[in-house]
Amino acid sequence: MINDIQAYGLLAEFHTPADAMHAAEKVRDAGFTRWDVHTPFPVHGMDEAMGLKDSKVGWFSFLGGSTGFTLGYLMIWFMNSYNYPIVVGGKPLMSPMFPFPVVYEMTILLSAFGAIFGMLFMNRLPKLYHPLLKNCRFKGATHDKFYVIIETADPRYSDAGTRELLESAGCKHMETVED
Amino acid sequence: MSSDTNNAPEPKLDLANWANLPNKLMLSGIILLIGLIFTPEKFGYTYLTGFMFFLSLTLGSMFLVILHHLFDAYWMVPIRRFLEHIACLTPWLGVLFLPILIFMAFGHVDIYPWMSADPETDHALHVKKVMFNKGVFYVVSILLFAVWWWLSNSLRSHSLAQDESGSAACTHVLRRRAAAGIFIFAVTLTLGVIYWMKSLEYQWFSTMYGVYYFAGSVWTTLATTYLLAAILKRTGHLAPVIRETTFKDIGTLFFAFTVFYAYIHFSQYFLIWNAAIPEETFWYVKRENGIWWSVGMLIIFGHFFLPFLSLLRIDIKKNISLSLYYSLILAGWAWLMHYADMTYNIMPVPYPKGTLGGEGYGLWDFVLSISALAFMGGFLAKVFLRNFISHPPYPQKDPRIAEAMGVYVELESEVEDKANASKA
Repeated sequence: MINDIQAYGLLAEFHTPADAMHAAEKVRDAGFTRWDVHTPFPVHGMDEAMGLKDSKVGWFSFLGGSTGFTLGYLMIWFMNSYNYPIVVGGKPLMSPMFPFPVVYEMTILLSAFGAIFGMLFMNRLPKLYHPLLKNCRFKGATHDKFYVIIETADPRYSDAGTRELLESAGCKHMETVED
Repeated sequence: MSSDTNNAPEPKLDLANWANLPNKLMLSGIILLIGLIFTPEKFGYTYLTGFMFFLSLTLGSMFLVILHHLFDAYWMVPIRRFLEHIACLTPWLGVLFLPILIFMAFGHVDIYPWMSADPETDHALHVKKVMFNKGVFYVVSILLFAVWWWLSNSLRSHSLAQDESGSAACTHVLRRRAAAGIFIFAVTLTLGVIYWMKSLEYQWFSTMYGVYYFAGSVWTTLATTYLLAAILKRTGHLAPVIRETTFKDIGTLFFAFTVFYAYIHFSQYFLIWNAAIPEETFWYVKRENGIWWSVGMLIIFGHFFLPFLSLLRIDIKKNISLSLYYSLILAGWAWLMHYADMTYNIMPVPYPKGTLGGEGYGLWDFVLSISALAFMGGFLAKVFLRNFISHPPYPQKDPRIAEAMGVYVELESEVEDKANASKA
């Protein structure tokens, strides 16, 4: 049924990185929370313009790394000095020294897992459907256009007010994206 | 955007009251002189420890300058000038090395045991006597300072020439010097540290000793750089060019070298531990005696774990610079750790048992250590300040200075385009 289709958000197109960045600053200052900027290439300073804080992914890597460090030592201790003790080269059965390369590798491996899965989790990926992807105009985001999209779900969203804000920011084209 | 510009202007830091500090520090030379006359051996080892400490700072600075040119790193432009000045202290370190040279030529006590050992009866020395004999030692020592003098001064003189001319040719010359310089640097640093520090125990083998000293040196230098940048930003010298991201970048490199140093020192220990050959293990066995064990633990936890864990977060790397006290704590801690590292390398030679007091490491050694640090620090700071004040505080016409400052300078073609557009 055609009437069931909801508006997902308002898509505003800009032609230069500077315009998009100033628009982002305006949207940030207006207090919107559910919105995003899409550009064909990374725009330096966009994080600040959007008011984004430092990524939280580091915590996942740290957690992964600490787990790897602990597990690595536990594994070697269990295998070499508990479950199947073997004396090698007259060395002690357990020491912080010889297992270290393995422990180190475990730390790196699990912190990399932490980083990659943490990133996927924070980005809510994988995502099989996104309303923007069926919007024909949005193709320009991978070519030479810059987009600001404000979701209708944002508490500050109002049809007229948001349009006015984006128009005052100098957008070149605007359309509603269907969910 | 907004985070780079600090709206509330800070009161300018005035260091006029401290201007006399280097002179006061140099007064400790009197204590050193007493040490030299009455306890020449104690003087020799503590003086060498201080010397290796300050050599780290100058060589570390030289490396950072070379690194800047090699990688064309824009973020280092604001801090490059004072690093060039610190690198140019190497000939003065040569002067500070003279007491050691004279001491060895005329003294009755040898701080380097191989100088009084007989290669005919000592096999370890016999096989290494090509390197370890007095003649080669003197020639190499003098040669190293000569090479560093040339390298550091050529890196600075073209940079200063660019302040006047703004010519891109200077940058090209500096890049070529840096490309050759990095090899010269690697070889000379390794030679220097083998001759002056490692040869204290000439029987020992370690192929990574040079890079081990290098890693610690650059680590300490980066902490010093962080503090100097924080100070010079507040005194106004570097205020126009230093940004929050400069501190983040210095902090990140410092963090990287924290890991690099730990990696190198661990590898050295790990290989020796695993191989378990007496020619190598004796070095660490000696350093597990008495207080040297504690110093070793201090290096593991204070040189690696503490800075590693506390600097993991990106905001910490930036925010330490917001307070001069925190920056001072960072640099002070790095100095303490690096000095502990130098002590760990040198002092177990005269005190292999690691006892405190009596026959062992005593109060007088401590006093001499502090005096050596104060004297050399005061002397080098005096030369550094004289150089720093008489030249522009940062490279004025470096091609990348605008980028480092975070401003966009329009190209001539862009200015023309705009003018044409406004006419039409």
